[in-house]
Amino acid sequence: MKSRSFFSIIFLSILLVGAVIIRLLITRSAEGIISLEYPDKQFLMYRLVPIVASMIVGAGLGVSGMGLQVLLRNPLASPWILGLSSGAGLGVMATMYFEYTFEFSYFGSQSVGAIVGALLSLLCVYVLSRRRGGIDPMSMVLVGVVVSVLCGAGIMIFQHAVPMGLRGAFTTWLMGSIPEVESWWRLLIFAFTTLLGIIAVSYWGPTLDAACLSDDEAKSVGVNLPQIRKKLFITSSLLASIGVLLAGPIAFVGLIAPHGARLFLGGSHRTLTIATALCGALLLVCADDIRQLIDFGSGRLPIGIVTSIFGGIVFLFLLLNNRGRV
Amino acid sequence: MRLQVKNVNMRFGKHVALQNVHASSDGGKVVAVLGPNASGKTTLLRTIAGLLLPTNGQIELDGANVHKIKPHDLASKISWVPRVAEVAGSFSIQRVVELGRYALGPSPNRVESALEQVDLLERRDSLWHTASAGMKQRTAFARALAQRTPGGLFVLDEPSSALDLHHLKSMGNNLRHCAEEGDIVVAALHDIAFAMEIADEVIVLKAGKVALAGKTDAVLTPSSLGGVFGVDLTWAMDDAGKRHLVLP
Repeated sequence: MKSRSFFSIIFLSILLVGAVIIRLLITRSAEGIISLEYPDKQFLMYRLVPIVASMIVGAGLGVSGMGLQVLLRNPLASPWILGLSSGAGLGVMATMYFEYTFEFSYFGSQSVGAIVGALLSLLCVYVLSRRRGGIDPMSMVLVGVVVSVLCGAGIMIFQHAVPMGLRGAFTTWLMGSIPEVESWWRLLIFAFTTLLGIIAVSYWGPTLDAACLSDDEAKSVGVNLPQIRKKLFITSSLLASIGVLLAGPIAFVGLIAPHGARLFLGGSHRTLTIATALCGALLLVCADDIRQLIDFGSGRLPIGIVTSIFGGIVFLFLLLNNRGRV
Repeated sequence: MRLQVKNVNMRFGKHVALQNVHASSDGGKVVAVLGPNASGKTTLLRTIAGLLLPTNGQIELDGANVHKIKPHDLASKISWVPRVAEVAGSFSIQRVVELGRYALGPSPNRVESALEQVDLLERRDSLWHTASAGMKQRTAFARALAQRTPGGLFVLDEPSSALDLHHLKSMGNNLRHCAEEGDIVVAALHDIAFAMEIADEVIVLKAGKVALAGKTDAVLTPSSLGGVFGVDLTWAMDDAGKRHLVLP
């Protein structure tokens, strides 16, 4: 690893540790006074769980976004563009609706709904964007947008179908929120899967570098494009699904984290993957720090709003900067 | 090495891009592919390089169908230079050249030598997306030089369209050198003078068919070439007494 990459990863790690310590210590009194103090033992879990969840979701969404940007050769690509988050969202909404209508509730039923929704949208995008035995990046973008719009319509139908009282729960989930109570086993499984995904993408780094060439050039240097595209497609989708399962649809992290990492490291994907995972985790822990400071009298802001505000501004910046290239 | 293009046909929907194309060449030759716009030059080259599967017919390298060779193995036999190189990402020129060694394993010496051959050694840390069109073309050429195995097939699609005279001359010398090392060099060109300078053989395409083929001196004459392009051409002598095809 070159010294610049090494020091960049150390630097990002230090920033992440700093953000984690702030999230652990930041305290808001009943009067709204902010202070930094070590929490009582009974409150410690309520801080550790969101920290771990933020890191899993942020790292996973970041690496997922980076994979999709390589896959689609588009710096503005993110898990949203595949319609994956909307698919998972529709799955959760459908589960909540059927739980209400048929009066049942099983542990993890919404997770199952999210996975099924994500996989179905993934399957639609995959099947409809196949051309000549491989995945065509441009078709994938177009099909992804269409799938996203259709899932959005489905979500609105379920929102409309439930009584007013339940609509609040639907809306809160759609805003994206980091859980404060979560099973450690579930977190452990998600963390392990996310780590495996990050290691896999990092291992494929040199292939990702070569896949950044045009299709003809990549094939000519020996890249098996259909194979790496399938691998990236599945891994990116899996990582994004974990994010949606844990925290709902959180926007822009998958878009911004890879660009943040590129500011430090440049283009080589072996180390860029690690830096992107760190950047994603850092972004979400920082967003969670920021939301602790904001209360309009109706509770703290959902984290999805914080990432949307900052992400929207950065997205606009990227769009204007890439006008000539995208 | 022997390259054989056997009755290749290529259709895109109803459009016929190549029709019954036959050709062959042996190692040590530079073959120029000429022809008017949309005559099928790029399609033929992409087919020869194993990047495009023909509708009918096949391309053989020493008797093996190039479209059945695994991508990894193909990289050790065929090097490709596109008309316009594309890189999505923030890579240095050196890193782009290094990608030529993706399947064959890293070789800092080959990369450095390739950068030197295209006069980019001092600019190797420059970022790809800030490079000029000519630099990008030289970088793509250097990547193929770093990748090529002597005695293989070197396919170039209009590799010189953005080059200045100095680098055009240098590319010509490099391609001749590759042929001397046993490569079959196949290059689509628009510059007739450059083709006359470097090519041993010429294939002229018109509307997807081979209109002319053979030794450079025999094919590139005012009457034959003028007929294909639909223009009047004539010979002109330079001070050294060398003949050049020019528009009158």
